[in-house]
Amino acid sequence: MNAAESAGPTAALTEATTAALTEATTAALTEAAIEAVRAASREGRLATLAEVLAALAAGGHFGPPEGQAEGQPDGQAGNQPEGQAMGQPADHAGPAQAGEEAAAPLASDTASMLPGIPPEVLAGILAAQPDLASFQSLSGQTVYHAPDLLSRTYARILDRKGSPLVLLAEEIRANSRDYPRPVPVELFEAPPFGLTPEEIGHVLQALAADPAHQDITFTTTPAGAVYLFSTRHLERGYAAFLAQRAESLSMNP
Amino acid sequence: MAATPGGFSGKVLRVDLSTGKISTEDTVEKYGDVLGGTGLGYRVLWEEVPPGVGSFDPANKLVFATGVLAGTGVPCNGRTAVTTIFPTCWPRQLVGSGHMGGQFAAKLKYAGFDAIIVEGRSERPVWLFIRDARVELRSAAHLWGTGIRRASLEISQEMGADCVVAAIGQAGEQLAPMAIVANSLSHSAGGVGGVMGSKNLKAIGVQGSGAVKIAGDKGEWEKLIKFHLSILGGNNQHVVPSFPTPQSEYYNPGSRWVGEPGRRWGAAEPPVEITGNIFDLNRIAYRTNSAAFFLGEGAWRHTVRGNGCTACPIRCHTVVKVPSVAAKYGIREVAQNTCTGLLFGRSFFKRLPGGMQGQAALEACMVGMHLADDLGVWCNYGQLQRDLQKLYYDGLLKTKLGAAEYASIPWDKYEAGDPAFLFDILPRIGERRGELGQVLSQGTGGLFTHWSIPEETWARDHNTLYWKQGHPKHHANEDDGQCGVIINTQYNRDSQCHSHSNFVRNGLPLAVQKKLAAEVWGSPDAVDGVGNYTPMNVHKARRARWSLVRKELHDSLGLCNWMGPWVASPLKERGYRGDDSLESRFYSLATGQKLDREALDRAGERIFTLHRALTLRGMGEVDLRAQHDLTPHWVFADPSGAAPFSKGAIRMDEADISRGMDQFYEVMGWDRATGAPTMETYARLGLKDVGADLKARKLVPGDPA
Ligand code: SF4
Repeated sequence: MNAAESAGPTAALTEATTAALTEATTAALTEAAIEAVRAASREGRLATLAEVLAALAAGGHFGPPEGQAEGQPDGQAGNQPEGQAMGQPADHAGPAQAGEEAAAPLASDTASMLPGIPPEVLAGILAAQPDLASFQSLSGQTVYHAPDLLSRTYARILDRKGSPLVLLAEEIRANSRDYPRPVPVELFEAPPFGLTPEEIGHVLQALAADPAHQDITFTTTPAGAVYLFSTRHLERGYAAFLAQRAESLSMNP
Repeated sequence: MAATPGGFSGKVLRVDLSTGKISTEDTVEKYGDVLGGTGLGYRVLWEEVPPGVGSFDPANKLVFATGVLAGTGVPCNGRTAVTTIFPTCWPRQLVGSGHMGGQFAAKLKYAGFDAIIVEGRSERPVWLFIRDARVELRSAAHLWGTGIRRASLEISQEMGADCVVAAIGQAGEQLAPMAIVANSLSHSAGGVGGVMGSKNLKAIGVQGSGAVKIAGDKGEWEKLIKFHLSILGGNNQHVVPSFPTPQSEYYNPGSRWVGEPGRRWGAAEPPVEITGNIFDLNRIAYRTNSAAFFLGEGAWRHTVRGNGCTACPIRCHTVVKVPSVAAKYGIREVAQNTCTGLLFGRSFFKRLPGGMQGQAALEACMVGMHLADDLGVWCNYGQLQRDLQKLYYDGLLKTKLGAAEYASIPWDKYEAGDPAFLFDILPRIGERRGELGQVLSQGTGGLFTHWSIPEETWARDHNTLYWKQGHPKHHANEDDGQCGVIINTQYNRDSQCHSHSNFVRNGLPLAVQKKLAAEVWGSPDAVDGVGNYTPMNVHKARRARWSLVRKELHDSLGLCNWMGPWVASPLKERGYRGDDSLESRFYSLATGQKLDREALDRAGERIFTLHRALTLRGMGEVDLRAQHDLTPHWVFADPSGAAPFSKGAIRMDEADISRGMDQFYEVMGWDRATGAPTMETYARLGLKDVGADLKARKLVPGDPA
């Protein structure tokens, strides 16, 4: 549905790494890496490469990430049920991160601490998994998820939550393009968007002032409901029709 | 067709009210080729009710018929078709069916009967007592004059708590064409209550201690049921939830799948919070909340639970509790219904304080359900309420109704959107009091006749949503372009077909719908984006045919056409495919008689063709194309003058619709010029005798008039 998702392997195991890893180790690593991503998806989070590496380390696949464990803020380990799901004791200072924000600073550090498997090799393993998906997050990192647990659409919404302007613009565009339909402005007040009417108002003002988002606009139904759409994908007249129709559905059983 | 060891209960009950004679006949032997439901009803009418018999003549018959899958564990079963000469069909009464869900169908089958044929007229009010093989006519003298609730309660007390009662209210007793029969509180069949009243039949109470046998392998049966559950969506088979969720790639704010984890049935005791995986088969009943869909977010806190038909996990009859109405109007604070039944009261008003999803709207719904479901008034898919609006706001009523009667009606409350208005208008209609009550209780055609209003006045006004023969559109061009139009031309009442609308409203992106359309109907062009219609093509004609055939199949198998067919699903791993052969797989396992999809569809086509034959014979007219398959003017007009096929216009093009009818008749094997089935088609469908009868009446195309 979203164009930027990686479709297949983006990196292959290098010959050296292949030589260093036995087939059995690779299989175990792969399985553990997949499970790390799935665990994050199960909890409604996107997994970064760093998080997966850390989970592998925590699982004993290539030595404990000692420095990392010591570096954890107090109490964080108790917030990591996915670590427990992988058989890790609750009091083990597990590396899996509870949020995307925490994952970012880990990336380079972890890679340098875990010589057993270069991040690009792990990235290759993950990219080769047909049941996992990845895309470049707004933060610039590649993030992973299991679409059967965390859909592509939902993953994008989660990624964009920190940037309401992009969140609204891209969601409105996707709706206008794919279904096609305008969306009621109230959509963004409900989960998972969870914006206040004031925040939505500010975002819409910002979008209106931004030359890159001039396609984002709205139509008002005769009953006064506001529907948002993108002129890239929907003509104004058609959007107005679809908005009125959407509004009338609860009157047309 | 040979007798089968499962699915059918095996007997049809025949009750002659004139003589009191009660008899039975073998279902499969006599009616196996038309399955049950509407098929059985059409067959009885074809064989036993001569053309020209009026709805309320003792010679008219009333056929309550279930189907092979009713009373089994198949999801969304429990439907009973009630077929008769339909009283609101205008200007000539012709064949029609009302359809009710609830528990009646299952109980009837557990008692050993697939159907009840009611004939004649009792001299005195009676009700029909069925306890397995014990069948009696009992006096209903003490029940006459009571509403549906009282009658059902009294009969339940007499029979025992495990019975199901289908009863009429005052409207049916008074022979109102706009009357229902209802069972299980809110499950009603519209338009047929007056026929029961005309026969002095107040109610049918059923108790059954048997079971429906399944002929096939138990494991396979269970597996198929599990599979069916897995491809269910929310109500109307909306396969996409209304909210974004990690578990779904798609969402659609207009979906009836509204049960988002975190929502609460706030009026349950204790309140129930929706949790867990939305695809969990044990949580399907959380998906649908008709009250929340139609009345908005606020309805969640009034929700007690969902109620519904036998074995249906959708449970679209939402139970709501609104304590304020007890104090304000002195009525019960709990009510249940779905769709137009739920909205019965609200639909009367053009405006309501707080809008159509506000507190007044909710109260209007509660008062409407309280009155209409007890008096037994039918709304004719909202036409009753639209008729009143048109009569009042166009000033027609002031000129037509006597001044004294006009002044006696609290129009101030009507205009102000005060639900208390319903306490005046609904009893007028249900008890047929005064001229207005008499006229509205006749239905739209009746009011045209009574007040000499040209049908054109309604047919030219898009706001009336009037289609033809006294009935409104039912998912027409506003939902599905030419397909919707063709389907709406075919019946003698509103079409009641959801095969097409369930698909186009399912919530999947257009590209996915087109992919599925290509697989099921042979081309992605079989479906258009709503309001972005393209010229007619044969694939749309095929889809219209498929929709109608499946509708008749569902009505004849005891399945719910408000949910089926199931050609789309919420399952990403299936590419959102459902299963187009589900009905035939269930039929084969239930009966032990293996029929593939094509063969079962042929049975559906046979049933639909029988309906066509009854219409031909009833009208005494071969040219149904010109005289029956009509489209109202408003379909061809756009208020802003937009051209047909321009984006955002639902108006159709007359020449294109005419082409569409050509193509539809062709795929049906009907004559293009007249829209009448050919002898070859009758023969192909095993209806040679029907064709021969019509030929003798010069109602087969090609015969000299
Ligand atoms: S969807 Fe509603 S009407 Fe249909 S079978 Fe289920 S409960 Fe009954």
